[in-house]
Amino acid sequence: MAEKKLFFNLCLTLSLMAALVLLPHGGFAQEVNSSFNPSEMSDMSDFDPNNFQQPEGDTIKLGYMQIMSGAAASNGELFWPIVTWAAHDINKRGGILVDGKKKKIEIVTGDTQGKPEAAKKETERLCLEEKVDVLWGTSGSHLAKVIADVAKKYKVPFMNCLALSDELMDEKNFNRYTFRTLSNTTQWNMAMAYYFSKRPETRFSILCQDYMYGHSMAGAFKKHLKKLKPEVEFVSEDYHQLWLKDFAPYLTKIMATNPEVLYTADWLPDGDNLAKQVRNMGLELPIANIYITLRETLKALGVDGTENLINGYCFMSGDTPQTEAQAKLMKAWHEQWKTWKAPYDSDTYAWPEVVLGSTLNDTYWLFDVIKRAGSTDPEKIIEVWEGDVFQSIQGIRTMRADDHQAVYDMYISDYTYPTKEVYPGALYSEGFAGPGEIITVPQKYCTPPVPEGLKGRAE
Amino acid sequence: MDPMTFILITQLVHGLAYGMLLFLVAAGLSLIFGMMDILNLSHAYFFMLAAYIGYTIAGMTNFWVALLLAPLVVVALGMVIERFMLRKIHPFGHIPELVLTIGIGLIIMEFCKAVWGTQSLMLQTPEILSGLLNIGVFRYPLYRAFIIFFAVAMMILMGILFYKTRFGTIVRAATADADMVNALGINVPLVYTVFFGFGTWLAGLAGVVVAPFLSVFPGLADQVGFDAFVVVVMGGLGSMSGAFVGAILIGLLNSFGIQFLPTAAPLLTFGLMALVLSIKPTGLFGVRQ
Repeated sequence: MAEKKLFFNLCLTLSLMAALVLLPHGGFAQEVNSSFNPSEMSDMSDFDPNNFQQPEGDTIKLGYMQIMSGAAASNGELFWPIVTWAAHDINKRGGILVDGKKKKIEIVTGDTQGKPEAAKKETERLCLEEKVDVLWGTSGSHLAKVIADVAKKYKVPFMNCLALSDELMDEKNFNRYTFRTLSNTTQWNMAMAYYFSKRPETRFSILCQDYMYGHSMAGAFKKHLKKLKPEVEFVSEDYHQLWLKDFAPYLTKIMATNPEVLYTADWLPDGDNLAKQVRNMGLELPIANIYITLRETLKALGVDGTENLINGYCFMSGDTPQTEAQAKLMKAWHEQWKTWKAPYDSDTYAWPEVVLGSTLNDTYWLFDVIKRAGSTDPEKIIEVWEGDVFQSIQGIRTMRADDHQAVYDMYISDYTYPTKEVYPGALYSEGFAGPGEIITVPQKYCTPPVPEGLKGRAE
Repeated sequence: MDPMTFILITQLVHGLAYGMLLFLVAAGLSLIFGMMDILNLSHAYFFMLAAYIGYTIAGMTNFWVALLLAPLVVVALGMVIERFMLRKIHPFGHIPELVLTIGIGLIIMEFCKAVWGTQSLMLQTPEILSGLLNIGVFRYPLYRAFIIFFAVAMMILMGILFYKTRFGTIVRAATADADMVNALGINVPLVYTVFFGFGTWLAGLAGVVVAPFLSVFPGLADQVGFDAFVVVVMGGLGSMSGAFVGAILIGLLNSFGIQFLPTAAPLLTFGLMALVLSIKPTGLFGVRQ
């Protein structure tokens, strides 16, 4: 099994290398405007997410829009160490020079409660009463849409680093104040389709959540994989209600179709429960996924349950940091994590990986844009960010000027065990598989088209 | 065995497993309402609290110790709440009870978030119940089979407790005529407190049993509690047999619905409930109060 996996990963890597060599010379050579510089990182040994030191006085206010209460409050908790880490780092550097004055980052929380009406009210409060300079968020495309609308109304830049739906940035919903740093539905699925087009499997089952996002993800995957690999068969396609308890009836139905891969775009808690129940049913087939990545979940699934999870994201290191910046960040984070108290002492926060790493990367990008704008004036921020090319912690990120969609290489990995030490004495994972060899899907193969109506908008 | 027969049998067993899981949660809720006339909307939160406590105890010891101890913690909490809160407001009717039990539920949820955080926690399936049960060509997850057997065992235990023991006789007598039982020198309020504790114990057991099956997170009470409430209403408030039959019906409807009518599957449960209540407003086994 391991040999087979190694063989396919080797083939894939070689084909990607060949593709890169064959690209027209200079076709993707990008000149970066700015870079994340690991040597500028502060000493973070006093950072504690449970006790973030809010600066006083004249500050740059970041509105942290997340689900902070109710059943889905895990989302708010999950990204709190991310925004506070980046803010703490910048504050220790003395802040950012804006409008002739060094200002530190203050974080103001807005609780969307997972409900559009609450998201609207809280975004308005942050914009009008708290007078935040930028908005950061948010889990749930339906909530991101509301925040984007309010951001547009009050002309506050909004960095969407968590909501995927293509529709958020299409001709109908685009606004100048919203920038999406996360990949969109098409982008993620183009990468996944590219990866699977190089693998031998041809029979796929789809099981996603039954709402716009689930259908949109599955639709994009089918479309792009079929294009690259016409012989592929989608032997079953099901959509389940959110927060499903029992996946077994779906799994029995799926097993009857004899698939080679199960594709799911489920997020929490469905993704976790699905993976757990798939393995409990004795199914060992690969699960192509986007959100079955939290380490607490992986730990519970164990080695057998986590091998053959295939994850794709725009930020991934596994046990092998891909860049010097990533290595430095991972070490600083992990060492500091050992000192954190509940709830941040859980294994979920052990490494700034996948969704945590990607949002941290994006937050640094946002601060870098403000720094280069030299102002919190939304127009100046827009001017810098549109078309910006940033050498991030992992890879080059380009913010397309026309539709404010970030494009970049994507990363995919077939989880394997055992994992290695990230640095001496710091094992990546024990008792469960993690990202093995990281396959980079070049930007060329996963760049979504600019919506027709937005082409040339920024010219 | 031809493939369709295999699928039908498997879906049947899936339906039973999920139904039995719901029964474990619904049983305590139904008993407390049937015997004490208390609509305890915090029941599902006791269930969730036990799942969290079970997660912690299992982490320190093992699943079996968690199954023994975690329900006892919620029993103690349940008895305190019955003695010092519910008993005082019970004479004022159901509305104050509903408000109080919803409030207790919210406090439990916030407590869980404060102690365990908001991330999904997963309890590993105990080693002895991992893997598959092989019966000829039929292979079935051992843990799901365990849920079925465990729920049936609990049903039998409850039958023995209520119909074959003195405690059961007293509880049933107190339900029929509390004043008379009191006049016979039996401390009826104490019986109620113990009985309420028994109901929460059932919720606690269900919480620990569900932990290796689902992830434990602050939405767990809503996720399972709502279905349990449907089971109780459809089976007939207060009827143990109703809860049992209702849970099996919902379980079967869920698994066969997914197999044959996947797009309508989520609606079937509510459709069945509406149908049952329109024909028999007191539920399948409920009696007019």
